[in-house]
Amino acid sequence: MAKVRTFRGGTHPPGHKNLSSGQPIRRIPAPELVIVPLCQHLGAPSKPVVSRGDRILRGQEIGAQAGFISLPTHSPVNGTVKSIENVPMPHRRTGPAVLIETESEDGGQVFEPWDDFRAHSREELIERVKLAGVCGMGGASFPTYVKLSPPPGKCIDTLILNGVECEPYLTADHRLMLENPDDVILGMEMLAYALGVSDYMIGIEVNKPDAIKLMEAKGCRVLPLMVSYPQGAEKQLIDAAVGREVPAGGLPMDIGVVVQNVGTAAAVTKAVRDGEPSLRRIITVTGGGVVSPGNYDACTGTLFSRLIEESGGYSDEVVRLISGGPMMGISLYTDEVPVTKGTSGVLALTGAEARDVEEGPCIRCGKCVDACPLRLTPNLIALAAENQRWGMAEEYGALNCMACGTCSYVCPSGRYLVHYIKKAQDAIRANRGKEA
Amino acid sequence: MAKPARFELGMSPHVVSNQTTRKIMFDVVIALLPALAAATWFFGPKALFIVLISAATAVLAEYLCLKFMKRPVSFALDGSAIVTGMLLAYNLPSGVPLWLPVVGAAFAIVVGKQAFGGLGHNIVNPALLGRAFLVASFPVLMTAGWMAPEQWRYEHDNPFGTHAIAVEEMAALPEADAYSGATPLNVLKQTFDLDASAESARSQGDVAEAGILGERASSIRAALYSVSTYRNLLIGRRGGCLGETSVILLLVGGIYLVMRRVLELRLPLSYLGTVALFAWIFGGSGWFNGDPVFHVLSGGVVLGGIFMVSDMVTTPVTPRGRIIFGLGAGLITMVIRRWGGYPEGCSYSILLMNLTTPLIDRYTRPKVFGEVKNDG
Repeated sequence: MAKVRTFRGGTHPPGHKNLSSGQPIRRIPAPELVIVPLCQHLGAPSKPVVSRGDRILRGQEIGAQAGFISLPTHSPVNGTVKSIENVPMPHRRTGPAVLIETESEDGGQVFEPWDDFRAHSREELIERVKLAGVCGMGGASFPTYVKLSPPPGKCIDTLILNGVECEPYLTADHRLMLENPDDVILGMEMLAYALGVSDYMIGIEVNKPDAIKLMEAKGCRVLPLMVSYPQGAEKQLIDAAVGREVPAGGLPMDIGVVVQNVGTAAAVTKAVRDGEPSLRRIITVTGGGVVSPGNYDACTGTLFSRLIEESGGYSDEVVRLISGGPMMGISLYTDEVPVTKGTSGVLALTGAEARDVEEGPCIRCGKCVDACPLRLTPNLIALAAENQRWGMAEEYGALNCMACGTCSYVCPSGRYLVHYIKKAQDAIRANRGKEA
Repeated sequence: MAKPARFELGMSPHVVSNQTTRKIMFDVVIALLPALAAATWFFGPKALFIVLISAATAVLAEYLCLKFMKRPVSFALDGSAIVTGMLLAYNLPSGVPLWLPVVGAAFAIVVGKQAFGGLGHNIVNPALLGRAFLVASFPVLMTAGWMAPEQWRYEHDNPFGTHAIAVEEMAALPEADAYSGATPLNVLKQTFDLDASAESARSQGDVAEAGILGERASSIRAALYSVSTYRNLLIGRRGGCLGETSVILLLVGGIYLVMRRVLELRLPLSYLGTVALFAWIFGGSGWFNGDPVFHVLSGGVVLGGIFMVSDMVTTPVTPRGRIIFGLGAGLITMVIRRWGGYPEGCSYSILLMNLTTPLIDRYTRPKVFGEVKNDG
């Protein structure tokens, strides 16, 4: 195994991954009613192109791309459009969704399958990734085709596949790498081809030795990484992998690197090799709040409640439901929200697991300063934000914060540091808008 | 199996480490205990009483303040008041009357801490502010209260002599110096006074007198800078504030704090390092012939370095800021020791540096990840 690398700072929350890491991925058939959000990606929601009563086929476009940073949305089932309405979304607000009554779940191959992607041009491949609605499956759901189309002048030389999965509890990427390594590797080759890079590798934390071994056995260049949160954050991963710092306020492509999640690579494979748009994804359902945690392959539009049912229902101690991981995930008041392309996990936490501390005053211990992977001073930014000194918060670099939650995690006073910093970010941006 | 009607909502992250303020404070209390054992051994049960009274007063004062300000009184038991009370007591001579720690601890909490908004908001170290208040208000009590180590056990036949040992005799009794009730730093200060007298005698033409005085100063210093003195200083068999004497047991506490990840080493190391360096360069009668070992082991710098320079609330949070703070405090300590009016400058140096903490934090903000200097 190659040298184990890491970044500076960070913390070590308990992993709890063994709750579900041994559970093979189980395919859940589409439910009778799928609720397909039109905004599963970052950017503008897709515009609905179907109407009530329409019969539609699996893989058919139901929402059209609405801008550069946007993607089309596809139906995961054959069926009839029941309605188009606003529904509660996993990011806690509501959003437009197409409700489809399922008839069956076969077909779905809407593009021509390519046996050899190298027989097609880079532009064709990127176009396919766009038409298939592939976005980042790691959580941010950024349209993948945009990341593959760097503006002229930016030279990309390195592709890093993100198999770190540093969020505690989550095991979806881990299972994917174990059970479907060929799709991941093929997808990585496709992404490398689209970017025109010959230097590509996959970063995996050493707490997944089986995945590292398997990927290496398949001839893949693996970058073993120390177990440390947030190892899988784009900037930290790049720093650990190639020792380059993404400029503050910049993008990885500024230093010639593109990072893609392993799930994204598998989705690219599906789109290119099988001609199937992004309709399903792997989700970890876990936490002490469910009876039997597991990993599932579910179609978009499946309600969280259905996934919970599949995991044996809630245990008595459940108090908090989270979309995503415990560090950056969003807590939900209801489980009647649909799976999107970005749903990596559904976490049901018990009172003992979930944060249950009252916020105290900052004692200036400096633990957040030492742990911040972006070398910010979270306590000072938070203090400025609490006093609405937005200028000072900005001076301390509030806008650089990626809300990874490391500071709040290590804070002995239980301060909601990320919350204050986000508040400062909003205020700074709002003030800028006013000035402009 | 029942599904709750509504899940609780919360901000991310949804998990939190098990480190808490209370745990940190009680770790500090635990780390202070070995030195308390030494204080009790060398200065008698009274030392223990002083510490208990001071800590109890601090907690009570905190409770009353919180009650009066209608804040949650549970804060009084978060351990921080106990730490303040203990540290104040550790900075008192063991011969003080028992009401003195009551006054000092109450002042420390009410004026030094709660008046600024309580835990986390005080600008200077409350325990040191309490001590400074007592030194200013009761100078005689605070300086005449030195007791010789183990005097309490031997009553009038202290084999080690009493704190009344005259400075002149110390040169003849090189083994006895550290047993005297006067603190080693007091004795050192007096040798510099002797040097000054010798200088003035020489300028008046009295070469013989100057020679005698200079000789005496050097021989006392030779006795201070000796292995037997170091040994006594290390175990704490010397006069001094009750909690500062046993360097070795203070270090035990410090190691515990490092293991518990409460003590960050930049502050104590830069502080003690500066003291040692400065002592070597300027601490002697000439240049570069001072004794860093003596200076680090004596006085309150080890207590200060581990427990007060590293007080979280009143010191910088940035890595570079911590080093600067230690440097500054070390310099001020040594300037006071060498040229100031007090034999020891530890507590004032920390108080003065506390005031600069916000400024240091502001100008030592770490370079943000990926930040490029654009002003060249």
